Amino acid sequence: MIPSSTQKSRKSPPARSGSNLVGRRSLVAFLNKDSARAGFIQSAVLLLVLLLFLYLFSNAAHNLDRLGMVFGFDFLTTTAGFNISWSLIPYDPGMSYWRVFFVGITNTLVLSAAVILFGTLIGTIVGILRLSHNPLVAQLARCYVEVVRNVPLLIQIIFWFTAVFSALPPPRQGFSFGEVFFLNNRGFYFPAAQSDIPLSWFVIATCAFVFGGWFLRWSSRSGPDARTQKSRAGMAGWGCWAVLLLACVIFLGRSLTWSVPALDGFNLEGGRYIPAAFGAAFVAMTVYRSAAIAETVRAGMQSIDKGQHEAAATIGFSRYQTLRLVLIPQAVRAIIPPLANSWLVAVKDSSLAVAIGFPEIVSVFMQTSINQTGRAIEIISMVMGFYIVVSLSISYLLNRYNAHVQYKAR
Amino acid sequence: MSNQTGLKQFVAKPARLPTQNEQNIIRRIRSRCFNTIGNSILTIAVVVLAWYVIRAALDWAVFDAVWHASTRRECMNISPDGACWAGVISWFNGLIYGRYPAEQQWRVNLGFILAVMWLFPLSCQKIAYRNFILLSWIALYPFFGAYLFLGGSFRGDIGIVHAVLTCLASGFFILLYTNWLLAVLNKPHLCQMLQPLASRLFNRGSQTLCLLLVWALLSLPVAVVLSQAQLQPVAIERWGGLFLTMIIATFAITMSIPIGVVLALGRQSTLPVIHWLSLLVIELVRAVPLITVLFMAVTLLPIFLPSDVELNKLSQVLFAVCIFAGAYMAENIRGGLQAIPRGQYEAAQSLGLGYGFTMLLIVLPQALRLMIPNIMTSFISILKDTTLVSIIGLFDIMLMARNIANDKDWIGLHTEPIAMISILFFVLCYSMSQYSLNLEKRLKVDRS
Repeated sequence: MIPSSTQKSRKSPPARSGSNLVGRRSLVAFLNKDSARAGFIQSAVLLLVLLLFLYLFSNAAHNLDRLGMVFGFDFLTTTAGFNISWSLIPYDPGMSYWRVFFVGITNTLVLSAAVILFGTLIGTIVGILRLSHNPLVAQLARCYVEVVRNVPLLIQIIFWFTAVFSALPPPRQGFSFGEVFFLNNRGFYFPAAQSDIPLSWFVIATCAFVFGGWFLRWSSRSGPDARTQKSRAGMAGWGCWAVLLLACVIFLGRSLTWSVPALDGFNLEGGRYIPAAFGAAFVAMTVYRSAAIAETVRAGMQSIDKGQHEAAATIGFSRYQTLRLVLIPQAVRAIIPPLANSWLVAVKDSSLAVAIGFPEIVSVFMQTSINQTGRAIEIISMVMGFYIVVSLSISYLLNRYNAHVQYKAR
Repeated sequence: MSNQTGLKQFVAKPARLPTQNEQNIIRRIRSRCFNTIGNSILTIAVVVLAWYVIRAALDWAVFDAVWHASTRRECMNISPDGACWAGVISWFNGLIYGRYPAEQQWRVNLGFILAVMWLFPLSCQKIAYRNFILLSWIALYPFFGAYLFLGGSFRGDIGIVHAVLTCLASGFFILLYTNWLLAVLNKPHLCQMLQPLASRLFNRGSQTLCLLLVWALLSLPVAVVLSQAQLQPVAIERWGGLFLTMIIATFAITMSIPIGVVLALGRQSTLPVIHWLSLLVIELVRAVPLITVLFMAVTLLPIFLPSDVELNKLSQVLFAVCIFAGAYMAENIRGGLQAIPRGQYEAAQSLGLGYGFTMLLIVLPQALRLMIPNIMTSFISILKDTTLVSIIGLFDIMLMARNIANDKDWIGLHTEPIAMISILFFVLCYSMSQYSLNLEKRLKVDRS
């Protein structure tokens, strides 16, 4: 740590005759003491900050009074009254602002999750291609990364929205894939399953299967004779799991009815759809994120010592085997911290979808809701709180995972 | 020795000549692109893909493009598949200057040229007060630029301060170039010329006094000119295009360093209050997206400031962008601070330097230099992030480009303006990143 204030080895003032100087000398000594100085600086800063806050809040109180506005979170339970073009969870204008908040959150999270998933996949591939021995492939990957990284994300989002997705034909002339899937300038339409069994059953079943599979893997791992036990327990477990899954599909599938989108006038009716704004934001952000992640992956791979390549070549590994068994497992350790950062940026970048009207949290809550209610302080603190919570939780999870994959100190 | 024991002596065969593969370009291509079937297919696929993409792009942008037309319909009639650059060309001034009045646009050009010229004497080694050039550019140029771009008359108390600073800035600029000229001619600089006279009048601090005197003397004629002539006022709302983008980016880049230094030092401090306050600011700002900070500045600043403070959108945006850039810069600088060995602090302490001098003279110069590549990366991202101000309605180059599609003559012209500004940003950012790579290499040579 850096010394906050260095001790000054100043000579104490020459002791002149007279006892009244003793008091002054001890005062100088006191002022030169580190702890006294630290206490003084800190209390001064704290006082200044408090005064600043006091000033700001008195201004705010005065201004709110003047404009006839009130402070409080009571508006959250009132009816929102405006429409949201697309939401993952059910929403209608009669619902409250709480619902608007959650619609924004789910839309943001879905967009960023999709971007993170596909961006990481494509980015890893491009990053490995950049290290290809084939100069053409390496140069192509380099061009992709350089072009994408040096053009602002907002320009790319607007390019994909106006020049690609909005330039698709209107619904009547749109593309149709077997009269089931439709692609046009409003978005991508696909059939939706409808059932008289409540949705919660589907959720419970999905969770049960995911956790069941995970538990099977986890429980068949340990044991004295791990290898054989794993294969036996694994086979039996996966078998049971498959039978259960099949039963569930048959049982739940019987009560399913499919709503297929169909042309009705100028629009498509039925089914579900993904709006063009989502498509544009998703494609632009995935491309942008993949370029950033490609650089991370390349840096991680290049951080591995050259001797590792040579050792792998010596024992006769092919290029692919070297990559899969030697390079990637080691590179992961170097890649994870910057990758985590990249994911955080992906979540924050998803807010740019507001520029093309995708109803994510900034768009529905920070723009529309502030315009409707005028509760700027409350709404902005809620949105910022959401982003802070997401950032902290992602970095917490990745720190945990990072500690898990790093070399253990021996 | 071997002869005595009767064992066969080992005689090495002469080494084989190095393989010639690497020297022959055809063999090299064959060994790297066509060594296996899979690789051959990959190579051919890449070549075919590149050929189609490049040809389609060239066809659209060059061969089928329309350069002269008065409306988009005319473009479509001439060549329906090509780019309609005519629209971008007719809006070119709008993209560069926004809605700045056409007959006043020379002021923007002049301001830009003066800003570059102000920094030009940095390349001259012999000039006097070289250290002050960058400092004066940061501290004085904004006032001069503000007057040049805004025009109008100075009003109120702030107006007087602004007028004085504008005069001082102009005076400094004249002083700078006179000194530069004298340095080129190998003559002593202006202050040295007056030194004998001044030292006769005052016996202490004559040099500083001389500088101030010369500076004031040079500023006076500017003040006279300013009080007589008046520039036509241009409202801030009319600023736009690349001009506005550059103002925001330059301001944020220059302010991010001091803000970042203060926050980073605060975060490294051993005083808990200062440490936690800095940490809080840095982490809170870094956890939220820039667009929310911009919205906050636009909606919350008017509430939290007294009602009689007049705010314009540009100042609110500058505030937000500076805080945001500063927090990111703080993390870069902290990396540099942590890389400085403890011995440097201890050496400074043993020389009797206090905290301020240790940081200013010993630690920060090394830390900043160590972090130049990261700082340049931050600068590039600040420049790219500047486009976000279009979302809250400032007419920067992005919003101007989007607005072309709303012009009744060029309705629906989206792709070409966006392609044009993409190329512009690519050139700017790519050259910045190449420059930083170059700088990194040069510094590595320096250090070793």
